[in-house]
Amino acid sequence: MWKRYVSISLGLGGSIASVLGQGVATTSPSYVAPAAQPTQIASQVPTGGMLESNTFLEMSDRVFNPNSDSLDFEEGSFNWKGRSFNLADQRAFRARFERFLLSTPSKESAEYAALMREIMDRLSVANSNNDETIQETWQLLFVAGEFDQDGGNSVVVANQVFNAWRIRKESRGTAMSQIELEELRRNQQEVVANRERMIRKLKERRERETSVETRKESAEAEGEGEIAGEAAFRALDLAETEAKLTALEARAAATGLQAKLQFQSQIVAFLTQRRFQHALLLSGFYQLLFKGSHQQLEVNSDELSAFFPNSDLSFTVDTLSYVSREAINDIDTGVEAITVAYNEGRKLVALERMQEIFFLGEYMPELDTISVVARREFLDLYRGMLEARELAEAKDYASVLEQAKKLGAIARDFPESRVIASVESAMSMSDMAVFAASQYRNIGEIDKAREELRNAIEIWPSNPSIRDFQRETTQLATAGSQGERVFDDLMARNDFRGIYERRMELGFGLAADTERKPQLMAVIDQVAKVDMLIAQARELDKQGERYAAWELLETARKIDSDDAPMNRALAELAPRVANFIGAVDKAQKHEANGEYAAALSAYMIAQDIYPASRICRIGIEVSANGLMRALAAENVVD
Amino acid sequence: MFAPTQSKNGKAVPILIGVIAFIVLIAAVVFLKGGRFAKLEALPVAQYLEGPTDFLGNEYALKAQIDSQLKWDKAIGRLVAVNVESGRHRLPVFVPAKIEQNLQTGQRYEMHVRVETGGLIYVEALRKY
Repeated sequence: MWKRYVSISLGLGGSIASVLGQGVATTSPSYVAPAAQPTQIASQVPTGGMLESNTFLEMSDRVFNPNSDSLDFEEGSFNWKGRSFNLADQRAFRARFERFLLSTPSKESAEYAALMREIMDRLSVANSNNDETIQETWQLLFVAGEFDQDGGNSVVVANQVFNAWRIRKESRGTAMSQIELEELRRNQQEVVANRERMIRKLKERRERETSVETRKESAEAEGEGEIAGEAAFRALDLAETEAKLTALEARAAATGLQAKLQFQSQIVAFLTQRRFQHALLLSGFYQLLFKGSHQQLEVNSDELSAFFPNSDLSFTVDTLSYVSREAINDIDTGVEAITVAYNEGRKLVALERMQEIFFLGEYMPELDTISVVARREFLDLYRGMLEARELAEAKDYASVLEQAKKLGAIARDFPESRVIASVESAMSMSDMAVFAASQYRNIGEIDKAREELRNAIEIWPSNPSIRDFQRETTQLATAGSQGERVFDDLMARNDFRGIYERRMELGFGLAADTERKPQLMAVIDQVAKVDMLIAQARELDKQGERYAAWELLETARKIDSDDAPMNRALAELAPRVANFIGAVDKAQKHEANGEYAAALSAYMIAQDIYPASRICRIGIEVSANGLMRALAAENVVD
Repeated sequence: MFAPTQSKNGKAVPILIGVIAFIVLIAAVVFLKGGRFAKLEALPVAQYLEGPTDFLGNEYALKAQIDSQLKWDKAIGRLVAVNVESGRHRLPVFVPAKIEQNLQTGQRYEMHVRVETGGLIYVEALRKY
């Protein structure tokens, strides 16, 4: 596990300068600069695990989302060219889509498609549409209604047409009654007018013959009263006839309007249900059955406004026909695009377009031209992406990687490498958090260790390093109880390497020991430096720089001359740099004896062997200074 | 008959004597000038490097080329590293301040040296060659 942590640290560039300072072996940055350690750890680990975790989840949401952008399950709508259709909830849509991908087109589908095309052709204004041909076309609707694919909608169209015909027939009967009543009203109006004229004449005559009439007053008054009573009855008859006529006119108007409204409502219903062929059929019949002045839509204004947002146009039946035809054309084009993308191996793109076209043309026979093989592959891809998304949400990165590889094998346009990079990044960040937790634990910062561990779990709950960390912590807790005794014993024997190798348990055990803890840190720092020098010397030796390697080991020997790994490395190298070592040894010996001139000579011999020697450069400088001082002091100069 | 011959011989002899005398004079000058270095033994560099203190007090001649100047003190002198002509080693030599001569890297000198305390190669005199 430690090796793994180190390898992660080495990948962190500048932040691991201190790690390199401890060598590339099993070292821990925490022991190089204890005072600066918390800052250092903080720089290695992201601020909380949430950032990386969220980044990954956002990526997985995008990459593993098989749904087209046109499908908005949150709003429950499907947008097509600015028009909004009601979308079922995601589960229901998925069920329908998967059912489609699992289904196999039958021969009947082709027959049904041909029949629908024929009906639509017959309704075209380009053809002669007399009553007989319209009736023949109408009868074909019942044939179409027999197909499973039709869902009985052609029969609905036929019923609407039949209803319109019946209402028209009723309207003709109403018209006859209306003519008769109008004739009766005219007669009654004449009778009423005649009676009124007679009454007026009688009144005039009476005024002229006032004196004579006084004798006959009683008899004429009797005759005038009879005429006035008959006029009143005739007026009542006329009022009754006019009321009947008004009622009949109102009923005729209501019946005609009802037929039109029913027709228009059904067209709108077909359109919103994405039954574009049936909407087109019904529109065709409507245009044949109703006059041109009746094309304005008078129904479902709210629903149409929602369907055509941001539009101030007045809608006609032609508008609905146009939209239906446009949708049918778009479905045809979409199916072609899907086939091309599939054949080119761009199955992810094909799947996204497939969903749009499926939703738009769910009831269109053109979808049956998509092959069974393609449907099954789309299904595998669709299910695979949904599964990967769920795995990503569960942060099961190993399974996500596996799933991404499978999806990459199915669809060459699936961004497999992006997923892998993102997953590996998240895994690394979790490992880093565990690493930081280990560091904090080892220096006794338990709260910070707990926080880092929480981050690690947040990023990758099933990270195996977490289990290792927990096991180590348990072991350390056990070993930590004996920390003081072990440390004192090793210090007494100057066994720094032994202390370094037990640094974890000792760090855990001495976390609260203010006296021993600094000593422990110093020892670990020292051994880490020795390890670093050994590692660098090995690297230089591999590059053929054996004298430079020896110099580094010589530096390490000055730190701890008893360190076993360092002495082993020196022993391995010594035979190959014997001449250089001999000259340097001699120089250092003379230098130690104050024989600076001899020391200078020896250093120069060594420097001639390895001109870049740091030891020689320093030795010459020191010896030359010593010699000049000696000359000045002894007054050798005459 | 012999007079012309005698006359020729009489002129040739003094000329010959004069040439010989000139050559002898030149040789004497050269001998006298390099005499101090010529009578010294060359420094046995290899042996000196093995044990410099074994040569304390001895005087030698040393032919070398200036490699670099290690130290300089106006009152004391210079400490220079030289490449020995006879070998492939470098040696440190001390040139006291009393030898007022420009020493530059790459110049060749014949030196009269003495091995001083600590194995120091002390330059008594030097000259370019």
